[in-house]
Amino acid sequence: MPKLHQKLERNSIGFTLLILCVASIGGLIEIAPLFTIENTIEKVEGMRPYTPLEQAGRDIYVREGCYACHSQMIRTLRSDIERYGHFSLAAESMYDHPFQWGSKRTGPDLARIGGKYSDTWHVAHLKAPRKVVPGSIMPGYGFLAQQDLKIEHLSDRLKALSRTGVPYSQKQIQDAKTDAQNQADSEAENEDELIEKYGEKLNIRDFDGNPDRLTEMDALVAYLQMLGTLVDPKKTLKRKDC
Amino acid sequence: MAVEQDPHTKQNTTGHEWDGIKELDTPVPKILTWSYILTLFFGILYWVLYPAFPGVSNFTRGLFDYSSRSAVMNDVAVASKTKETNEAELLSKDLTDLAQDASIKHKYMNSAAILYKDNCSVCHGPDLKGQTNFPNLADHHWLWSGDLSEIETTIKYGINSGHDEERTAEMLGFGTSEALTFNEINQVTQYVLSLSGKTTNDALAKKGQSIFNEQCASCHGEKGEGGLEVGAPSLTDKSWIYGGSQQAIKDTITKGRKGVMPAWEHRLSPFDIRKLTLFLKWKQDDARAQ
Repeated sequence: MPKLHQKLERNSIGFTLLILCVASIGGLIEIAPLFTIENTIEKVEGMRPYTPLEQAGRDIYVREGCYACHSQMIRTLRSDIERYGHFSLAAESMYDHPFQWGSKRTGPDLARIGGKYSDTWHVAHLKAPRKVVPGSIMPGYGFLAQQDLKIEHLSDRLKALSRTGVPYSQKQIQDAKTDAQNQADSEAENEDELIEKYGEKLNIRDFDGNPDRLTEMDALVAYLQMLGTLVDPKKTLKRKDC
Repeated sequence: MAVEQDPHTKQNTTGHEWDGIKELDTPVPKILTWSYILTLFFGILYWVLYPAFPGVSNFTRGLFDYSSRSAVMNDVAVASKTKETNEAELLSKDLTDLAQDASIKHKYMNSAAILYKDNCSVCHGPDLKGQTNFPNLADHHWLWSGDLSEIETTIKYGINSGHDEERTAEMLGFGTSEALTFNEINQVTQYVLSLSGKTTNDALAKKGQSIFNEQCASCHGEKGEGGLEVGAPSLTDKSWIYGGSQQAIKDTITKGRKGVMPAWEHRLSPFDIRKLTLFLKWKQDDARAQ
């Protein structure tokens, strides 16, 4: 062996080629699976892109750094499943940019928080967490209820997302602004149009208890209330290991 | 420039020399070499036995056919099976019988308290006394009769929850729909205040009474005692969900209310829902006993 190595070392071109060969094995192992990734991610029923209002809420969620304390990933552990519900599926975050997985929690996991509490509670809790949950260390976000939601840029936001692969249609992108307004307005008489665009699993109502204004609170609560409600994992998973 | 033996360590040198400095050719300790080889073989073995590498249409599943998903689902199934056997009595017996059984209370009180804390206390409060917008569960005033099976139904399906079997209840906004004028709302407010014995403006209250009979009595009852079937609360009992001040009552009449209690059927097992139902009853009994 030492003799062989000495010989190789002294042949610089041959040695370079050999290094290249060994290094490319590592590269191949990391890159090759990406070519077939479409086939290895399971498909699930019910996933849809976020509505403009939910996406706006999601952006507020990211802006305020909620992810620093809350994960959105129920792990395959019994304790997680009994507390938060069915474990998360990869496809449930397929339209997330950026995703909200995490292995560190200060607050509870939010992957399936949708529908667990009422809108009223979410608003009360976001305004003054310790008033409803004594001992909570979550900061208050009452200012969200005072700030009007900026909806002018929503079309651009959806367009940007569609470039990363989120399948928004031209119409969805065009109507983003009005769709956001209409989703937070139970009086708006185009529920059918929204459902046609985004499917049956859609909350259309005033979320923040203040029907006169479209606030950031509306968007955030709309986002929280849809989390984990789109896919019914038990019904959609057909693989033998589920 | 020749390999030679170092007299102190008895180790060979590498045969190189730089400015008179020679280097010992001490081999890597055997243990490191062997653990390197061992981890290599462990890696290959693991690859063969466990899921490891993505393929064209699927990933390699390994000889053990292990999956963390089926493992955890198995764990969950075993645990719920044990629960079903240990707690079978909860579902096989009648709720009223269970509520009176001291041994049942002794057995389940603690786990029910944890369930309550995890799921219910954020709205209804750690002491069950509720808070603004969320009803008090400790005060013997119930929206749907307080019968144990009715309480269980409410927990299961919720109120205005969107569940197919939900209970629905809505207080209409008499101001926003312009069914009542500002003055009329003031009058009804005075009358409603008087129902629970609060000092009011008698003249206004008297005028409010006839409006009440016309507009409100169909749900809240002629004496404001509340309607069990429609979930309309009693107005005579000094217990208020949305606040009992003059302003709060006026707000309620003007804008209406439509409180939401989520449905728990998909989150909690029938055993746990039953335990929570019993928990409420036991807590009330305890409070009464004191």
